[in-house]
Amino acid sequence: MIQRNIAPKIISLDKINFIEPKTFQLSDYSNCFWMKEVLDETVRIELQFDAGTTKGEKTLSQFVSSLLLSGTNLKKSNQIQEELDSLGAYTNIEIGLEVSIVSLFCLRKNAKEALNILVDAIQQVSFHESEVQDMLREKKQKFLINNEKVSVSARKEFQKHLFANSEVYSRQTEEKDFEFVSIEKLKAFHQKHYLNGLNKAVIVANFSDSEMIFFINSFKSMAKKEASSYETVIQNKAGRFHINKPNAVQTAIRMGIPLFNKTHPDFIDFQILETIFGDYFGSRLMSNIREDKGYTYGIGCGLPELRNTGYFVIVTEVGKDVSEATLKEIKFEMERLKNEPIPNEELELVKNYLLGQLLKSADGANAMMDLFLSTEMHGKKIFYYNEVIQHIKNINSKRINELATTYFDWDSFTICTVG
Amino acid sequence: MIQFERFTLENGLKVIFHKDITTPLVVVNTLFDVGARDEDELKTGFAHLFEHLMFGGSVNIPDFDAPLQKAGGESNAFTSNDITNYYDVLPAQNIETALWLESDRMLSLAFTQKSLDTQKNVVIEEFKQRYLNQPYGDVWLKLRPLAYKVHPYRWATIGKEIKHIENAVMSDVKDFFHTFYSPSNAILCIAGNFEFEEIKKLVHKWYSEIPSKIKPPRILPLEPEQKKFREKTIERKVPSDAFYYAFKMPERKSPDYYVVDILSDALGGGRSSRLYNSLQKDKKIVTEINAYITGSLDNGLLIISGNLSPKASFEELDECLWKEIDRINQNEMLEKELNRLKNKIRTAKEFQEQAVLSRAMNLCFYELLGDAEGINIEQSIYENINPKHLIEVSNKILKKENCSLLKVKAVQS
Repeated sequence: MIQRNIAPKIISLDKINFIEPKTFQLSDYSNCFWMKEVLDETVRIELQFDAGTTKGEKTLSQFVSSLLLSGTNLKKSNQIQEELDSLGAYTNIEIGLEVSIVSLFCLRKNAKEALNILVDAIQQVSFHESEVQDMLREKKQKFLINNEKVSVSARKEFQKHLFANSEVYSRQTEEKDFEFVSIEKLKAFHQKHYLNGLNKAVIVANFSDSEMIFFINSFKSMAKKEASSYETVIQNKAGRFHINKPNAVQTAIRMGIPLFNKTHPDFIDFQILETIFGDYFGSRLMSNIREDKGYTYGIGCGLPELRNTGYFVIVTEVGKDVSEATLKEIKFEMERLKNEPIPNEELELVKNYLLGQLLKSADGANAMMDLFLSTEMHGKKIFYYNEVIQHIKNINSKRINELATTYFDWDSFTICTVG
Repeated sequence: MIQFERFTLENGLKVIFHKDITTPLVVVNTLFDVGARDEDELKTGFAHLFEHLMFGGSVNIPDFDAPLQKAGGESNAFTSNDITNYYDVLPAQNIETALWLESDRMLSLAFTQKSLDTQKNVVIEEFKQRYLNQPYGDVWLKLRPLAYKVHPYRWATIGKEIKHIENAVMSDVKDFFHTFYSPSNAILCIAGNFEFEEIKKLVHKWYSEIPSKIKPPRILPLEPEQKKFREKTIERKVPSDAFYYAFKMPERKSPDYYVVDILSDALGGGRSSRLYNSLQKDKKIVTEINAYITGSLDNGLLIISGNLSPKASFEELDECLWKEIDRINQNEMLEKELNRLKNKIRTAKEFQEQAVLSRAMNLCFYELLGDAEGINIEQSIYENINPKHLIEVSNKILKKENCSLLKVKAVQS
């Protein structure tokens, strides 16, 4: 009989092999990064443009990103789509506060042709009136549906008060924004932020060096020719903000504070603190609010990074009758992290967990590229993660208490509830 | 080509090993052959509630997650109408931690009242978050009983109503475990950089002493052939009218299953699809339209769903939609369109198989279907579909008497 009540011995991780992608300069302000270590036929190409929602007049960025494949003077939108589909290519366009990303996924044998179609479509968009009208109608409908969700309302309300000092970071799309848009303004935005707005290009594929020359050349004309500007300091409006939704059966909570990104000396250690607090399944928030009290299906926190700054955010949806009780428990868990030593068992668990997750985020060429991109954005090399490993191994309970005391100041939080 | 090896323990546990020399991780995936279709109609939502309880400690180990996290790993699970699937991903050198945890909960659970009470609350909050507190969130709770009259697919995995979850008691939990959770009702897949002999030894060590039970026979009521068009309208405080056309389709093992999958792509799989181009782009009577299949093991559904444009009516939509269906039923598809659909499937498969976790899950799933080798054959089934198959199958499926329509009428909030 085996001893089932004794855990098998655990072997800790010591080292992870990080691979830095190859860099090609597209212009003084734009690079292409290439990860060749792909074992199959897949190709991922990503074009990141200086075209996030904080750029230009409100909503222009969103509208232009939705119109990127809407047709040129020579091709209608459905022709572009059919050509891409015939090559088995998938595209995706996403937009964040600071950048927009156009991605192409396909197989190697079709990559050149698919990229040509995609780049041509992006560069030659004609902003035809009927396409613009279609886009406005469809986006408005999606907007109205999303607005019904308490989670979406809470996110918007949070964004408004978190970035209280910045008009462009806090602004929100409204229903009336879908009524009219000037085509001239769309064209001007496209000219500046796409035709001359390529921040970086990313390629994860097993291409030959000569194939790479083709790809690099097709990006060059769009490469940025000047530096971009991003918000450096966030000032939030602290306090409690509530939106009443009488029909909701749950309350969405979003709360947080402006914080920092990888460039700050406390970043890595704070990530360890916020993991203990709420960023894994066994976290304090999950153990207390889901596993002990059963108030929610899930609660978590995170540390999203921006170019020059970052913020800390806690997210959950809870039963309507327990939203106040949930806030009380969140506060209680913050206080515990300030005042009580972290039990050794828990700290060891989180250290091993974080190392295991880092290993997982470095598994495969695509994962490695993502890991790299999140350091490159702050001017660091992928070997930054060796530093992360050292911090995880060395951190102690006292340091966690200190960080919690410094950053978990309840009165400084922006707390939004919708329900 | 995905390579794998197989063996079966004396207690009936089927084991698949997939060697991947490139990953520093190991995946331990366990599929139990039980889903919401196996539930009592008065105790629905139970397979899913039970999945939550599997994390509440087992007979010899008080907590499932903590030891796994301590080994650098992570775990999760999902329940569908057909199966319950659990997976662990962790650094390869700690494989035994996962085998220890998984084998112990296959042996027996701790069955604590506290865990049951809490998970009932958690699942009720999940019910609210996903089905009640979202616009159109309860559509599947209404559509399933419209499309199915007899088969247990008439309820969703979350359950028919919150009350069924509230009413669950410990004896139900124990009965469910004893009936469905046993080696003979499970398929285990281990994927990572190991030798087959090593895996065999480890699996024997942790799993061979779990007593065998007889695999429960599955006798589900057969859904009779639908002979008449069904229609239901519900009113909801939502921003726009929505529609769900549900057509019955063949079971997962039928060769026609793949043909219907391609048909759904042709109709509403993205921006080069027929319905998108005709109803959304051309006539502008919808602001969104999609077609997809439920992927069920027994007779599933092909769904066409979307939102109406503010000025369009359900009648207009109905007319245009059936016109497009007539077109696909009467004219053979051109090779050009068919190749486009096949090419997209090819790319999707290549990307899907990149992740070792999805390879492990799929190997278990195909083994459940009858043979894990299916994972390597599926692509050729798609490749061999020709326009003749398509028109033949579409005429069987896409007809009015085989359709159930749910309309969501938007009312002022």
